[in-house]
Amino acid sequence: MLKTLGLVFCGMLALGSVSASAQEITYPKKNITVIIPKNPGGGTDTSARLTLEYAKKYLPSGVIFVPENKPAGNGVTGLIEAARARPDGQTLVMTTVELAMFPHQNKSPVTYKDFTGLFAPIADPCSIVVRADSPYKTLQEFVDAAKKQPGELQVANSGTGAIYDLATINMENQLGIKLKHIPYSDGIGPAIASLVGGHVDAVITTPGAAKPQVDAGALRILGVMDSKRFALFPDVPTFNEALGAGTNTEMRAWAAFAAPAKLPEDVRSQLDAAFKAVAADPEFQEAMKKQGIVPGDMVGDDVDAMMKQDHELYGKLIAESQKAQ
Amino acid sequence: MSDLYQALGVVFGYEALLLTFLGTLAGIIIGALPGLTVNMGIALLMPLTFTFQGMGGILMLLGVYCGAIYGGSISAILINTPGTPASAATVLDGYPMALKGEAGRALGLSTASSMFGGLFSAVALVVVAPQLAKVATGLSAPDYFALGVFGISIITSVSSSSVIKGLIGGCIGLFIATIGLDPMTAGMRFTFGSYYLMGGISFVPILVGLFAFSQALLGIEENWIERRQPGGARKVTARISRLLPSWADFRRVLPTYLRSSVIGTAIGTIPGTGGDIASFISYTEAKRWSKHPEEFGHGSIEGVSAPEAGANAVAGGAMVPLMTLGIPGDGATAIMMGAFMVQGLSLGPLLFTEHPVEVNTIFIGLFLANLMMGILGFSGIRIFTRVMAVPRQILVPIILVLCAVGSYSVNNTMTDVFVMMIAGIFGYIMLKLDFSMSPIIIGIILGPMAESNLRRALTMSDGDFSIFVRSPVCATFLTIALLTLFLPIVGPRIKAWWRLRGGNTAGDPSAGV
Repeated sequence: MLKTLGLVFCGMLALGSVSASAQEITYPKKNITVIIPKNPGGGTDTSARLTLEYAKKYLPSGVIFVPENKPAGNGVTGLIEAARARPDGQTLVMTTVELAMFPHQNKSPVTYKDFTGLFAPIADPCSIVVRADSPYKTLQEFVDAAKKQPGELQVANSGTGAIYDLATINMENQLGIKLKHIPYSDGIGPAIASLVGGHVDAVITTPGAAKPQVDAGALRILGVMDSKRFALFPDVPTFNEALGAGTNTEMRAWAAFAAPAKLPEDVRSQLDAAFKAVAADPEFQEAMKKQGIVPGDMVGDDVDAMMKQDHELYGKLIAESQKAQ
Repeated sequence: MSDLYQALGVVFGYEALLLTFLGTLAGIIIGALPGLTVNMGIALLMPLTFTFQGMGGILMLLGVYCGAIYGGSISAILINTPGTPASAATVLDGYPMALKGEAGRALGLSTASSMFGGLFSAVALVVVAPQLAKVATGLSAPDYFALGVFGISIITSVSSSSVIKGLIGGCIGLFIATIGLDPMTAGMRFTFGSYYLMGGISFVPILVGLFAFSQALLGIEENWIERRQPGGARKVTARISRLLPSWADFRRVLPTYLRSSVIGTAIGTIPGTGGDIASFISYTEAKRWSKHPEEFGHGSIEGVSAPEAGANAVAGGAMVPLMTLGIPGDGATAIMMGAFMVQGLSLGPLLFTEHPVEVNTIFIGLFLANLMMGILGFSGIRIFTRVMAVPRQILVPIILVLCAVGSYSVNNTMTDVFVMMIAGIFGYIMLKLDFSMSPIIIGIILGPMAESNLRRALTMSDGDFSIFVRSPVCATFLTIALLTLFLPIVGPRIKAWWRLRGGNTAGDPSAGV
């Protein structure tokens, strides 16, 4: 009797430890370096650090994540360093959508092929924002106006060749319109200030960046470039919904954890399981929402697929934009 | 009114007071160490704030923000090295004062002016935030361009020894600023296929190299000379007769305090500009309006006060667009935005109606942080000035180590350390040739602002240059810029010509402006 009880007890213990070790990361023998190729305090950095904060409980005791910001050379030097690190899971990196763009612009020798995608805590769609008192109430009205006066409407973005600029080009291609690109290379903040002040007609950015102004009724989002609506603004239509089928653009500003390519399968599955648990953690989701970020849930192969898809999309867009010049 | 009482209760709670105090102290230390900047200090301490409940963390960050801007002036005055970019202009008159044995007086004045500027901008934030917010959104690309050009025109007035050398320095600075990606077309400029250079040369390593590393090299040289000829040692005494500035000093610099505070608050309000620009503009304006412009560069008490009041006034100004529009006014407030959001404060137009207690807490916290900064500063002056008594053989190696650590920490890369060393050796040669460093710094800070806004404005107008005279703000700034640029060159000639014409010598050089 005692024996059976003991067996059952042992079994329960074993089961318990199995269910606990499902997301346990057991491979690291020393601290895991996480390269963040962006400045401390920005969106990429914040989401990376928040994720690590909730992932660290799955590490063996005595081992921690060590985030290192390496923003030199627009972050490319950090990406190169991570791509060349040994693929043993001791070095991770926070890649961004720029990894899908820079190789086509001769700005980066490394591409998505040099990395193993793990987890994308952010993938916000691009959106088009106008002033609340502007004559364009809907995306259709904006497009009609742009058709009537080609090259007249001023659309601000965060720098030529950056994602919001490419989103503008994508819009032009898909809708057959011509817009005037006004690059604000010092960031999207000044571009939004300029829109609020009425110096430009529209800004392309993520919906989160315009949230304070939209909530206050100063700005209006006309549409998001995604296949589904954005969780923070469920009333804003997608481009597809606003303009009819055939304008199914997907432009997402994402940031994703990755490891060097050729990561051993057992290391990868441990990291994937841990990140999957983080993505499902309600506390993590709450913390991300507080930062104005809609928490992403893409893990593992999905991340690889997104990286590849965007690499091809941006390759095409950038080739077209360079032909146009 | 009950909101105000509630906010007072929060700020003067035991934990909040302690956090503000610790934040300010940490800020002063971070600011005083060359290479560690305001932004870095806030980014470093930001994760800590997530663990505090309520507003404590934000109050701590406000302390770091105010403390770090002030802290930079301590090393600027004592070791001729700006602790942060915002104190680059303080070096101009702070170090000459320290060499004259007036380190205590200089620190007293800079502390008082920092506190004055900070408190002034806090009042401005409370009283006229909605009106100031219009400044933030009212300026368009041509206006930014004019502001940038106006800033660059300062070069001729900060290079007292030789205007030509100042202009050469300015061009070097402008050149350094062009390295990297072209801001408008994203083409490569002077990158030679290097991925490091693609992002441009980092500013902090250059600043640290030009000021601190070159200064350390000078120290080594002087030490070597002294050892060869014993007895020729130059001793700088730093006796401290008083901590607070004397009444006579205070009366003389009060107009400078006020003018610089207004300039700093306004500059802080404009998104994309910060303490570095505000301090240089404050310095030139102080010189322009001073009754003793000839003292500038040789230890003028107005010269040491103006940049500090201007730089610290940026703090309150930068909070204006952050709180009223949800758009950060400078790099430091951009990082702080995250801490606000963690506390569930949605910044922007709705903040004032939805979170009145928190808004009042921030207002009072900003006052408190500036007061604590002043108290810590004044009580620390005696300790700070001991640096002057440290023998060169000990001080110089410490500075060299700090230079390397500070430069490395910017991007976590050794490349920046080498950049710093090259800039330092270059700076040493420039010093030997009697160049001043400030024009180079001004070129690097303002070059990108002037360039990208010039091209943005021309994109907006389809290449039509009349866009620069249509806006009154732009036209005014460009006119002042032209006057500022050419007056130091043409001014003396006109005066000489007047004298030749028959003696109307009453012409004051600043009267024409």
